[in-house]
Amino acid sequence: MNQFKFRKVRNKLFLFSLSIAAVVCLAPLIMVTSFMLQKGAASLDLDFFTKLPVPVGEAGGGMLHAILGTIYMVTLGSLMAVPLGLIGGIYLSEYGKGGISKALRLATDVMTGIPSIIIGIFAYILLVVPFKSFSALSGAVALAIIILPVVIRSSEEILKLVPKHIREAGLALGLPRWKVILFIIVRGNLSALFTGVMLAIARASGETAPLLFTAFGNMYLSYSPMEPMASLPVQIYTYAISPFEDWQRQSWAGAFVLIILVIGVNLGARFLMNPKALKNFLKRSSS
Amino acid sequence: MLNQQTHNATPTKSIAKKLSGAYGDKVAKVFMQTVALAILALLFLMVYLLFEMSLEAIKEFGFGFLTSTDWDPIMEEFSALPFFYGTLVTSILALLIAAPISVMVAIFITDILPVKLGQVLGLFVEMIAAIPSIVFGLWGLFFLAPIVREQITPLLKSTLGFLPIFQGPSFGIGVLTASIILAIMILPTITSISREVFKSVPQHQKEAALALGATREEMIRLAVLRPSFSGITGAIVLGFGRALGETMAVAMVIGNSSRISASLFAPGATMSSVIANEYAEASAGLHLSSLCYVGLLLFLVTLVVNSSARFIVWKFSPIARSARKDKRA
Amino acid sequence: MTSKKNVLEVKNLQAWFGKFHAVKGVSTDYPEKSITAIIGPSGCGKSTYLRCLNRIHEEVPGARSSGQALLLGQDIFAPEVDPVELRQNIGMVFQKPNPFPALSIFENVVVGLKLQGIKNKAKLLETAERCLRKAALWEEVKDKLHQQGTSLSGGQQQRLCIARALAVNPPVLLMDEPTSALDPIASAKIEELMQDLKEDFTVIVVTHNMQQAARVADYTSFLMLGELVEHGPSEIIFTNPKQSKTEDYITGRFG
Repeated sequence: MNQFKFRKVRNKLFLFSLSIAAVVCLAPLIMVTSFMLQKGAASLDLDFFTKLPVPVGEAGGGMLHAILGTIYMVTLGSLMAVPLGLIGGIYLSEYGKGGISKALRLATDVMTGIPSIIIGIFAYILLVVPFKSFSALSGAVALAIIILPVVIRSSEEILKLVPKHIREAGLALGLPRWKVILFIIVRGNLSALFTGVMLAIARASGETAPLLFTAFGNMYLSYSPMEPMASLPVQIYTYAISPFEDWQRQSWAGAFVLIILVIGVNLGARFLMNPKALKNFLKRSSS
Repeated sequence: MLNQQTHNATPTKSIAKKLSGAYGDKVAKVFMQTVALAILALLFLMVYLLFEMSLEAIKEFGFGFLTSTDWDPIMEEFSALPFFYGTLVTSILALLIAAPISVMVAIFITDILPVKLGQVLGLFVEMIAAIPSIVFGLWGLFFLAPIVREQITPLLKSTLGFLPIFQGPSFGIGVLTASIILAIMILPTITSISREVFKSVPQHQKEAALALGATREEMIRLAVLRPSFSGITGAIVLGFGRALGETMAVAMVIGNSSRISASLFAPGATMSSVIANEYAEASAGLHLSSLCYVGLLLFLVTLVVNSSARFIVWKFSPIARSARKDKRA
Repeated sequence: MTSKKNVLEVKNLQAWFGKFHAVKGVSTDYPEKSITAIIGPSGCGKSTYLRCLNRIHEEVPGARSSGQALLLGQDIFAPEVDPVELRQNIGMVFQKPNPFPALSIFENVVVGLKLQGIKNKAKLLETAERCLRKAALWEEVKDKLHQQGTSLSGGQQQRLCIARALAVNPPVLLMDEPTSALDPIASAKIEELMQDLKEDFTVIVVTHNMQQAARVADYTSFLMLGELVEHGPSEIIFTNPKQSKTEDYITGRFG
């Protein structure tokens, strides 16, 4: 009986420690978001979105150039990576048995695991060294390489969920396979595919490391792909480690915008996307 | 079908039919294969260029790159040991903090909480993974570092101060702060993989334990944790892989010192943080090449860690094994 | 037979899954050292009923139950009864053999005792041998007690699970379609075993196999749509049932 009481107490203690673990786990999330809400939202003003940086020492100015730069490079990178990623994902789900697909799946796994800073080095060697200048193009390529494996994986997971009988129904109608893939399978899952793409893009929008020595950054508006270009994450970094209080304030504002953007896209995607595909995708992408 | 063909069989139609039929299929497949091969080529190109760029440093230092302790860009003395050490220490410390919490949270979600509530908690945990690294870095620099300096350090010194790792001055930024941030960032990774592992435990195993008169805690130890041992190991190793490569948050709070110090309060540097901090300014060829060499090593280490994690999860898990057996039966 | 005292008396037992009323007021007495079979068409609530008797039903989200079940005079649903303690007195064998993976054959048998804090190695070994003999498995596994329990064949695994339930020495043993996942030879072995078990235990077995019920059970309950249609000695149920529904079912007119 004594033994039994001991077991019951141990059970209670165990359950209690699990709840403590959950609190400890959530605490950083709450602390980070509330810190950003407090400091970031308070630092945010219209200037942040509409003005360029002012010379060092003067207060004021904004991050218009960095916001546009991020949009520019993320768009350029997506244009390169998304079509390739979708084709790769479709190939894996529809022709996923052969040697090439096995190799591609392995390569996708490897690419997802590569630290983003190394992707930055690669884009540097590929585009900064030969052209002897930091450039928006090299930044976009780096982001593309980050987006690519995520899109391949998410689209593969989504399309794999299409039941076999739907493919067979299409083939039984006398449609060639590529038409079945394009007009039945892909078209029927456009919204899920789109959400997967959005998640990949959201993730890339927050990346700093691969842009540090590719796009590098600047303090003015620039639209040339062959010149350095500012981006929101790099600008946040530069301002954060600077000694100027006003810059630090802007860096909080930038982080606030970034966190709202990324979490917004993530939450939105979770409610749009097929829950089962999402689960598979998250399982693999968080690994 | 036949009828239609005899009625409408004009030459152009039949070509169109050919194009859209078997021929179209072939074109589509070859096209997709080309894209797949291009993606593969891209990966090989990455590894090759990284290797080629490191070649100068590899020739200069060879394997001595991992044994000497000097990193001095001015004297052109380069060694990755301090960064290797920093990466290892921060990642292991992060694991020590994050692994128990993650596994417990995963159990809480899969086996204790009501389904809906568990999903909500799971969603919150996954939101941590969505926060960009730079945001964690910013938070670490302005919020966590002061707390480490003014509260955690005195506490550790007064309780465990006899250990060399808890001695010396603290500036807030340093190895300990970096490890805490890393721990937070790998929480969602370990939690979500562990959840999948626990979820694969069949309900009837849990009921078998309960039917024997096990308490919830005993049921979890017996029917959930024990068969999941290798799965949890895999999840932790994957978390380790993620910690190894994490860059920005660490670069902002670790203090960037290439000196190896026993104290966790001291500043340090990791393989990724030194690349982030020095790459853009590295002008000399050997400096740049050495940084690439560091990158190459980091790539190899994460590759080995990630693949062994996958191997552990899928090969050695008794649950996965019995699931495979079930499928065959 | 009627002179035996009742080990378990169930009174007006009800069970729900959310809004679905799965068991609608079943009352039955279970005399000691007897085998009672519960038969009925699939989905009639017979498994749910059985799972109420060791309160494992309530572990399923959204499931609840009401009524009384007196185990040696004590209501198992009384608030002061801890389900954990109860389950040490009512053992269960499941439909699918479910030895614990990562545990050896020996560990699987004595795991219930270990939970109760018994560490004496000699006593554990002695119990393991006794229960494995009782489950007619000893001869087959005595040389490989330290192999994984999951390495055995399906029928052996099920006997291992029976040994595991016996080790805790519960007066009542519940069996939920214990042979439905097994081949005929393995099933026959389990049936034989049940006859032996009757010497020490009160067995309640859910089965979809009427021949099995007729062969092994002293009493049979027929459940339909969550209601107890008829309960009585097996020879009467199977030869001369009082209810026309029972007759229809056992003669194969539906179900």
